Amino acid sequence: MDDRRTAILAEIPRLRRYARALLRGRESSDDLVQDTLERALGKMENWQTGDSPRRWLFTIMHHLFIDQTRRRNRRGEDVMLSLDDDEALGQQALQQETAEAGEVLDALSALSPDRRAAIVLVGVEGFSYAEAAGMLGVPAGTVMSRVARGREEMRRLLDDNARRKTLKVVEK
Amino acid sequence: MSRTFSETDIHLALDNELPADEKAAFDAWVDANPDMKALQQRYAQDRERLRSALEGIALEPIPGRLTSVLTGDAKPRTNRWAWSRYVAAAAVLLAVGGLGGYFVGQRAEFAPQSSALKPIAENAVAAHLIYANEKRHVVEVGADQAEHLNAWLSNRVGVKIVAPDLKSGGYDLVGGRLLPFNGKTAAQFMYQDPTGNRLSLYVTKDDSRQDSGYRFMTERGADTLYWLDGGYGCALTGNLPEKALTQLADLTYDQLVKSAGEPH
Repeated sequence: MDDRRTAILAEIPRLRRYARALLRGRESSDDLVQDTLERALGKMENWQTGDSPRRWLFTIMHHLFIDQTRRRNRRGEDVMLSLDDDEALGQQALQQETAEAGEVLDALSALSPDRRAAIVLVGVEGFSYAEAAGMLGVPAGTVMSRVARGREEMRRLLDDNARRKTLKVVEK
Repeated sequence: MSRTFSETDIHLALDNELPADEKAAFDAWVDANPDMKALQQRYAQDRERLRSALEGIALEPIPGRLTSVLTGDAKPRTNRWAWSRYVAAAAVLLAVGGLGGYFVGQRAEFAPQSSALKPIAENAVAAHLIYANEKRHVVEVGADQAEHLNAWLSNRVGVKIVAPDLKSGGYDLVGGRLLPFNGKTAAQFMYQDPTGNRLSLYVTKDDSRQDSGYRFMTERGADTLYWLDGGYGCALTGNLPEKALTQLADLTYDQLVKSAGEPH
């Protein structure tokens, strides 16, 4: 393998983590990673060698994710079919998660894709607002507000859930 | 005179986006406002929870199908873009359940459960409890006859099965046996670590060909990780924490899927 492919290979663990944060299911996330890698290999000239390919790869993945989300949402029949599709439901469900992790990831899944992406890119992957803005194709100020609104929403969701659990205990 | 701070600055500070020369004034502001201090700690704590929920994923072994994209020996997928259906399904679940309804509390009930899945785990646990404690007749066919074992069980269960090699996870194959399952058959492979701890893998044929993802269950003192994928219904049972079982399940999964690609 040449140096460029080796550098891309080194980013796979992070790409898988980001994909999983976006989609949740293991197989579906890895499909997204695979599509990203295939797309990247076809557009190697777009990557400035010397730079880490990380931002470039994250950008490709995000575009694929958004394109497909939009395409599917336009085709309502697909959405309804998916509801009856056990496989689809099973896929997006919980994998390899502890209860604690599941609770946080449920809250994350409940956010809009925009907020979810911003929170993970900045809060987990450690990108700056400017870097995330480049990947998401929005101004840095938008990233900032998505992160802030997303965090507030997550806090509310986690609090609601904690309250529900307390209620359950009291009822017993 | 420093500027006035607001809640937004808590996010900026957390994300290292606050200008360096405002840091000291910001810290003083937070210290003087207990509410803001609590909020800052809360957001930092939530971020930590999110990081630890996701960190394990970056440590998982990379699936072969991803590395082979780069090494150039990838097989074409028939199922391109299949993942995007899950985005749509998730969106509908949200719309139907509302944020609250989708949200945790009812997670177990809400998580789709294939009717084929739970009986596999239950049968696997029952079989594990019987045979893992067996001293002399733990298996019908020993690992020394591995080729015969694989051929026999593949034939009887009706799907290509090769006993996975779990050595890298610390477990050696002892052997296997044929078991009944819902009027059909299942294979059980028994493994053992150097201290004598036993781990069993229960494999049935899954005609629904679903992909359920891993599920974890602890029942009657046995821990089981079970799943449906690629025409297999599997359960890995032992006395192991979920994380350790998951690593062994990844090894199992990779090898079963690989063996499925070979001619029966």
